[in-house]
Amino acid sequence: MNQHDPNAPSLEVTNLVKHFPILGGFLQRQVGAVRAVDGVSFSVRRGETLGVVGESGCGKSTVGKTVLKLLEPTSGEIRLGGIDVTKFSPGQMWDHRRRIQTVFQDPYSSMNPRLKAGAIVGEPLQNFGIASGSDLDDRVAQLFRRVGLRPENMKKFTHEFSGGQRQRLGIAKALSVNPDVIVADEPVSALDVSVQAQVLNLMIDLQEEYQLAYLFISHDLAVMRHISHRIAVMYLGRIVEITDKRTLFTRPMHPYTEALLSAAPIPDPKKKRERLIIQGDVPSPSKPPPGCHFHTRCPFAIGACKEIDPPLLEIAPGHHVACIRRPVGAAPEPLTRTN
Amino acid sequence: MTDIVQPIAVAPTRKPPALWTSIRRNPTIFIGGLILAILTAMAIVAPLITGDPLRMTPAQRLRPPSEAWWFGTDQYGRDIYARTIYGARVSLTVGISVALVASVIGLAIGLICGYFRRVDAIVMRIMDGIMAIPSILLAIALITLTRPGLGIVLVAIVIPEVPRIVRLVRSVVLSIREQPYIESAIAGGTRGFKLLTKHILPNTMAPLIVQATYVCASAMLVEASLSFLGAGVPPEIPSWGNIISQGRSFFQIAPWSILLPGAFLTVTILAVNLLGDGLRDRLDPRLSRRM
Amino acid sequence: MSILQVKDLKTQFFTQDGIVRAVDGVSFNVDVGETLAVVGESGCGKSVTALSILRLIQKETGRIVDGSIKFNGRELTTLSEEEMRAIRGHEISMIFQEPMTSLNPVLTIGTQIAENVVRHKGVSWQKARDRACEMLELVRIADPIRRLDEYPHQMSGGMRQRVMIAIALSCDPKVLIADEPTTALDVTIQAQILDLMIELKEKIHAAIVMITHDLGVVAETAQRVVVMYAGRKVEEASVEDLFENPMHPYTRGLMKAIPRLDMDAEAADKRIRLQEIEGMVPALIDPIPGCAFAPRCPFATERCRTQLPPFVESTAGHIAACWEVERVRELAA
Repeated sequence: MNQHDPNAPSLEVTNLVKHFPILGGFLQRQVGAVRAVDGVSFSVRRGETLGVVGESGCGKSTVGKTVLKLLEPTSGEIRLGGIDVTKFSPGQMWDHRRRIQTVFQDPYSSMNPRLKAGAIVGEPLQNFGIASGSDLDDRVAQLFRRVGLRPENMKKFTHEFSGGQRQRLGIAKALSVNPDVIVADEPVSALDVSVQAQVLNLMIDLQEEYQLAYLFISHDLAVMRHISHRIAVMYLGRIVEITDKRTLFTRPMHPYTEALLSAAPIPDPKKKRERLIIQGDVPSPSKPPPGCHFHTRCPFAIGACKEIDPPLLEIAPGHHVACIRRPVGAAPEPLTRTN
Repeated sequence: MTDIVQPIAVAPTRKPPALWTSIRRNPTIFIGGLILAILTAMAIVAPLITGDPLRMTPAQRLRPPSEAWWFGTDQYGRDIYARTIYGARVSLTVGISVALVASVIGLAIGLICGYFRRVDAIVMRIMDGIMAIPSILLAIALITLTRPGLGIVLVAIVIPEVPRIVRLVRSVVLSIREQPYIESAIAGGTRGFKLLTKHILPNTMAPLIVQATYVCASAMLVEASLSFLGAGVPPEIPSWGNIISQGRSFFQIAPWSILLPGAFLTVTILAVNLLGDGLRDRLDPRLSRRM
Repeated sequence: MSILQVKDLKTQFFTQDGIVRAVDGVSFNVDVGETLAVVGESGCGKSVTALSILRLIQKETGRIVDGSIKFNGRELTTLSEEEMRAIRGHEISMIFQEPMTSLNPVLTIGTQIAENVVRHKGVSWQKARDRACEMLELVRIADPIRRLDEYPHQMSGGMRQRVMIAIALSCDPKVLIADEPTTALDVTIQAQILDLMIELKEKIHAAIVMITHDLGVVAETAQRVVVMYAGRKVEEASVEDLFENPMHPYTRGLMKAIPRLDMDAEAADKRIRLQEIEGMVPALIDPIPGCAFAPRCPFATERCRTQLPPFVESTAGHIAACWEVERVRELAA
């Protein structure tokens, strides 16, 4: 029964796969595939933020777009409030778009430059027939105020707003239809630090007020630390570690997580730590290394790592790791380096 | 729930610049536009400012430019000045009509091709096929198959111009489709038709307008060439092309019959191109007048 | 011993909407072999300062209207274009944020490095190629001989940035200007490049001007820091002093606004609101009579809004442009 289940998580994803075919030759046949998302599972509940962190090519943005059904999943399952929307056509999906909205990264290209700010924010309300005419204007004004903008500016074009303000417009638009889930793809990455803080605080407040579920995608671990409840670390299409925030930052188990934590420069000159700097570049998602995708750069890799595809196992309650050197029940000790 | 955030002020909208400043900033648009405006005005009021372009006065044949005959006369004693001004009607009609019709057709096809992938491949190959045929040959073939007349000339010139516009619109649509704001609109519940009309179409207008001016210039030139070859408008209707064609044999003794209409043709096409260039620079967001 | 002395630099851009005061009277010195970070958010003028030093501001759009830039005692603002060309890539080098667009896509990287060497040192092509190979080794690119004949698109972002560094260092510059060199890179690659730059500092004896918006990068690489806001310098200090006792309200606000990875576990559990800086950066077109930060500053007084604040010194070498330094310090204590 494909029905809305109020007890189900707002967003639940199981074994999501998204491949992009590589076409070649005269007849443009499929000669390979970019395995952007290679079997990802997670869930997000009301009032909760799941952060998805990773570097370029890890597939986090693709996860975001696929969950929104802006891209068709290759396989797997996507459930919104219990309803399986995976195989919905664009027409069928339309009804459910009210539940899941989005905020994009680039405040400059994520809004139509020819539309006025009020029109952009009010568009979802019009699309779903929720409001029109003066009622629409009232609601848009309310939304403007809620995100900290003056309603008089409804008539202005988006290029007259600053980056941070445009991001607020994006949030207002996402909020307009009272969604259950907001997928935020790098919402503060293009903003200056002082503005970043404003937007992050706004998002936290809105989450508490409306009990929104956030799927927060970012490459910035420090930002994640502030806004997430749980965090999933992705590498080359897969989740390598997923756990609550505190555990991730105090007892990370996956070597890649440790490398990420180690790599981010700390704004404190006195804290010179033992850095784990991994060598090499991220492999291409069209030719991922065999076995564990990370083994080519992992300082702790052993022979078996290039043969076995490590499953994501729950090694402690609520803490899943995909590494054969971290079996279930393993103690969080540092691993021995092998190179 | 109190307002947590202090409402933030947005930069005040700047007032639009004065006319003189606009002219100074976009001289090409102004010059091109002015020349075209004058020519169009002259063409419209042609009967009021010239004599009869068809009246033959054999006694006055091949007279050089003088006070009576501003541009001189041709071998039948016809007033070249009158013929030239009436010829402007043909050129402007052809130029503007072809630009309009080709734009409308090209826009429609381009939007569909850019948006619906399945149709795209087939239609683009057809467009490639049409583009491969030289427009003049196509025009001559069409005219030979039917009766010569202004209408046929228009159709014959429109057909080869459409693929170029389709290509342009299609490429603009393809690039707009990838923009985050389109995805954002889809996620916000905007569907097919509304997506095309509200989000994609307005952003195709600027490059389309620019291309339309070039189509206009090209159409005028093709018409003149066709008329020159005798495959354009019927000889009774004066067109710059056939005026020049008829003056060909007498070039050495009466150069004015070719040079003056030729100059008009050149200046008109130049004006249209200037207008197009100016609009392109003005409307292209990347070439905006920045620091 | 200062190798680079910038004094009262003013660079302006002439737009149709008015004059943009991108750099509005900035002064600082860079000593031999030291790394100076110039930090600020977008629009503060840090990149324009760097471009001004190398006279890379396009004539049609803007120019240096006032001030002096002395390199090794030599005044750069009055040199001819030919004389500047002899300095760029040779005595003062620059690396940019986007390695893909800064490298020529149709030339091999060996050619691009060697070209620079030949132009400034006048040696034979073969010698230049050898030098190119040396440089690739210096920036820790494996298999350098093979790489010499590769094209930029065959390399990853991190490697291209290393190539940029190799080109910049190929003629033993005395000053290296790095404009947001790691901003476009992934975090693990960024760590590699910063690590490389720290290692190279020991080897090459060049002074580095590190331009960035990332305070973490500043903490890792710099010895002294200049903080810029709206085209002006607002604070200058050693890196330890700046992080320990930031004087200027903007610097303090910035430090509180950044999300930190290194919070202690208990604090991290709750989701604390970050300290915001209200308001927006002012438009650089309108002249700003007093302190540029006054509209957003919680300590601002009438004097701040109308009179340009002088530089006040707290400890040796630590200065800030602020009228209310005392009050700020009291609040911190």
